[in-house]
Amino acid sequence: MKIVVLFSAGRHPASGAPCPVPVELQALRLARDLAGADEVIGLHAGPVDGAPLDALGHGLGRLIHLRMAQGDDPLPALAQVLEELAPDLILAGRIGQGGEDGGLLPYALARRLGRPILADAASLGAGDDGTLTVEQALPRGARRRVVLRLPALLTVHPAAAPALPFTFAAARRGTVERRDIAPAPAAASEMEERAYRPRPKLIARAAPGASAAERLKAATQAASSGGRLLVDPAPEEAAREILAHLRGIGVLRRRG
Amino acid sequence: MSVGAGLAFVILGLSVIAAALAARRARLWRAGQPAKIDWVAGLLAVPKRYLVDVHHVVGRDPSAARMHALAAGGLLGGSGLALLAGLTGSRLVWAATALLFALALAGGLLVGGRRYPRKPARLSGGKFQLLPFALVAYGAGALLVALDAALGHALAPLGWIGLVLAAPGGGWLAFQIGRGPMRHAFAGALHLAAHPRPARFDGVSETALVPLDLGAPRLGVATPADFAWNRLLGFDACIQCGRCETACPAFAAGQPLNPKRLIQDLATAMQPGASNKAYTGSPYPNARPVAGIGGPDLPIVGAGAMIHPDTLWSCTTCRACVEECPMMIEHVDAIMDLRRFQTQELGALPEKAGRPLAELRYADEPGGRALAARTDFAAGLDLPRLREGGHADILLWLGEGAYDLRHGRTLRALVALLKRAGVDFAVLGEEERDCGDLARRLGDEDGFQRLARANVATLARRSFGRILTADPHALHALRNEYRAFGGDYEVIHHSALLDELVAAGRLPVGALAEARVTYHDPCYLGRYNGEIDAPRRLLDRLGVARVEMERSGRRSMCCGGGGGAPVSDIEGDARIPDLRMGQAKATGAGIVAVACPQCSAMLEGVTGERPAVHDLAELVLMAVEAAPVAEAAR
Repeated sequence: MKIVVLFSAGRHPASGAPCPVPVELQALRLARDLAGADEVIGLHAGPVDGAPLDALGHGLGRLIHLRMAQGDDPLPALAQVLEELAPDLILAGRIGQGGEDGGLLPYALARRLGRPILADAASLGAGDDGTLTVEQALPRGARRRVVLRLPALLTVHPAAAPALPFTFAAARRGTVERRDIAPAPAAASEMEERAYRPRPKLIARAAPGASAAERLKAATQAASSGGRLLVDPAPEEAAREILAHLRGIGVLRRRG
Repeated sequence: MSVGAGLAFVILGLSVIAAALAARRARLWRAGQPAKIDWVAGLLAVPKRYLVDVHHVVGRDPSAARMHALAAGGLLGGSGLALLAGLTGSRLVWAATALLFALALAGGLLVGGRRYPRKPARLSGGKFQLLPFALVAYGAGALLVALDAALGHALAPLGWIGLVLAAPGGGWLAFQIGRGPMRHAFAGALHLAAHPRPARFDGVSETALVPLDLGAPRLGVATPADFAWNRLLGFDACIQCGRCETACPAFAAGQPLNPKRLIQDLATAMQPGASNKAYTGSPYPNARPVAGIGGPDLPIVGAGAMIHPDTLWSCTTCRACVEECPMMIEHVDAIMDLRRFQTQELGALPEKAGRPLAELRYADEPGGRALAARTDFAAGLDLPRLREGGHADILLWLGEGAYDLRHGRTLRALVALLKRAGVDFAVLGEEERDCGDLARRLGDEDGFQRLARANVATLARRSFGRILTADPHALHALRNEYRAFGGDYEVIHHSALLDELVAAGRLPVGALAEARVTYHDPCYLGRYNGEIDAPRRLLDRLGVARVEMERSGRRSMCCGGGGGAPVSDIEGDARIPDLRMGQAKATGAGIVAVACPQCSAMLEGVTGERPAVHDLAELVLMAVEAAPVAEAAR
C-alpha cells in the first residue's frame, strides 16, 4: 500500500522555530505502522523545506519537496504530484501550526482529486480487499470505527499514537527530492497571522462577593462537567451509574 | 630431581599455560576499535595506580584489602621466588619462599572465610566458590615443598605430598585465567596501564563524556566490536566483587539494573557464540526476559540479545558503581555508548523520553516552554541581564530548574543573597538555552552538541568573570563538557560561592532554628566534580549540627533524578528518592540540605512524615535573615 503524508511548514508554538507539526508526525507513524517505512512518501509544497526535513528524523524515508514562491497556492502543485504518484492513501494533519497550513487544505485537495475524506483518524488497520478500517476520534474520548474503500484522504487526530522520536541517523539516511514548480496564482484569501496563544478556559463564576471556597467550588464543578463522584460504591451500583452516564452522553444507545 | 625443583618446574609449566590462555583471551579484544594509548606512561604508572588508587578503593573494606594483599602478594611473590629458589637451590631463598606461601595460605583461608559458611549476596558463586580451595591447596602444598627444601629435605615425604597438593591447586588457578575468576589478575593489570581515562589516576575529575563524532558511519555502540579495545579489556578486568551492585541506586530500587551483571554480560558478549548462562552472581532485579546470546559482531541490546533496553534506561548515571569499582571499570561510559546507539541510530528511547528531546530540539527547552519564561520565577526581583557585549563579574546560569516552582524559590533566595552581598551578577535571560545535559544522558548527542555550540556562541559575545549556577548538571556540562566545543569557563557552584561570601563576612549569618541538618550530595557535584567540602563548610558556618547520612560525600547515594531517569521512568519495586529519604530520616535530622534542582524535586516528591527539604541557598538566606534578630537580642 502506497501512502503519502502531507507535511506543512510548522513552527513551534513557544520558540517560533521551524518545527514539524506533531500531528503530522503522528500521521507518519500511523502510515509506517500500516504499510512499512518503504511505502511512505512525504510531500511538502512551500518555499523552504526546514520543518518538513526534520520529519526524515522522525521516520520518513523519502520526502518530495515542491519548491514554490512564498504566497503561491500549493493546491494545484500538490494535486498534480498526487495524481502522478497515485497513492492508495493520503494522510494529513487535522490542523497546521503556522500560516495557512493544514486546516482547509485536505478538504480542498480531496475535492480536487475526487477522493473521499475522513477527518480525525486515531488508528488505522488494513481491511479486506482494498478497504481500510479507521478509528475516528470523536469528542470526549469517544471512538467510531469506520470502514472505507481506498483510495481516500484522511486527516489525523492528536489522539493517535505518539510520534516516533527524532533519530539523528534516520535524518541522515532520509532522501529529499526537490522539484521546482511553475508559479501558481496566489492563494485568494487575505489572512492575518497572529502569535499562538493558548485559549482561555471558560470557568463558571461564583456570585460577586462569594468566598474563596465558593469561587473554587464554582470553578472546579464547572470543570468536572456534571459527573457524579461515588466513593467506594457497590460494584452493581457503580456499573449502573457508568451505564447511565454512557447512555446520557450518547455512547450507548438508550434502552427501548 | 628434588621436590623443590619439581615445584619450580610445575610453576614454570603453569605460567606458560596461564600466559597462553591470557593471550587467547586478549585476542578477543582485537575485535574492538583502535584506541590511543600512551603505553610507556601507562605501564610505568601501573605500580602507583595499583598501590595507591586501587588500594584506596579496596581499602574501604580493610578485611578485603588484607585478604587480597595476602592472597595475591603471597601467591605471586611465592611463585616467583620458588622459580628463583629452584634455579639456585639456595636454602635461604627457599625459606623466604616458604614465608610468602604461608602468607598466601593465610590469604586463601581468608578468601574461604569470606565465602563460607555463607556467601554474601553481592559475591558470585560457581567457580568463585572453588577459589578458596584452590588457593589453600596451592598455598599449603607449596609451603610444604618450600619448608622441606629450606630444611634440607628433613620432611622428605611431606614435601612430595605438598607437591601433589600444589600442582592441582595451581593448575586450577592457571586454567581460570581465560574465562574464570583469575582473569581479573592479568586483565586488571593491563587495564590499569591502558585505562581509557588515565587522568583519573592523577587526581583530576575525569568525568566528562567524550563527544561523539557525528560524521561516523555508526553512532554509538551496537556490538562489542564497536567498543574501543581497551573498553573490552576493562570489562574483562571485573572480579565480580559486587561492590557496584550494593552502591547502585537502581539495583536498590528493584529496577532491572545490576552494574556487575551488566559488565559480565558485556564481557561475555565479546566471545563468539556467547551465552549468559555461566553467570553466577545476583541477577538484574525484576529482570526482563532476554535471549542471552551474543558475539563480537552481534547486537548487545534487545530482547533477542544480551541486555534488555530497560536495563540501559534504568541508570541514573550517578557513577556510584564507578566510584566503588576496585578494578577501575567505567560502567557509565559503557552505558552511555550503548544509549547513544539506541537513540541516535534506532530512535529506541523510552516512550516518555521522546517528548522532552523533541521539545529540546525545536524549542531549546525540554518542557517546550518559552525561553523568556525562564526568569518568571524572579517576578518583582529585578534581575539584571547580561546583554551582548556587556560585562558582569558573575554570570548566573539559571538552568532548567528555573521553570520549576520549587527550585524557583531556591533561585529567589540565591538572587536575594547575591544582592545583599553586593555581587555584580547578571543572567542571560531568554538567551540562555538548556545546557543539554538531559539530551546527552539520554544518548541524544546531536541535540547536546547543537545546544553546546549555541550556548558557547552566546557566551562568547559577553564578558564575565565566572559562571555561577545552582544546578550541578549545568555546572558539569559548562565546566567539563563544553571544553570540547571551545567553551573554557570558570564555573562555580552556588555552595562554593556562598561559602566564599559568608567566610569573607559579606553575608552576616545568624543561627538557624532547626539545629540538625544532613546534607545530600548531588552526584554531579560530589562524584563528578569532587566538591564535597564547600557545602559542608557552608553548613558549619551557619551554626547547625551537621549529621552525615549512612552514605555521603563521594560515596553518596543518588536521588534518582539524573541521567534522564525521571523521564525514562523504568518500573521497579521502590522509588530511589524514597530510599534516600529513608537514609536521611535515619539520621534524625529535621532538614535535608540539597544543592541541586533534581535532588530537590525528587526528595520533595517523597510523601509522608519526613525531614524538610531545603536548598543550601534557602538555608543561608534563613540564617542571614535571622542575623539582625540575633544581634538585637544580644
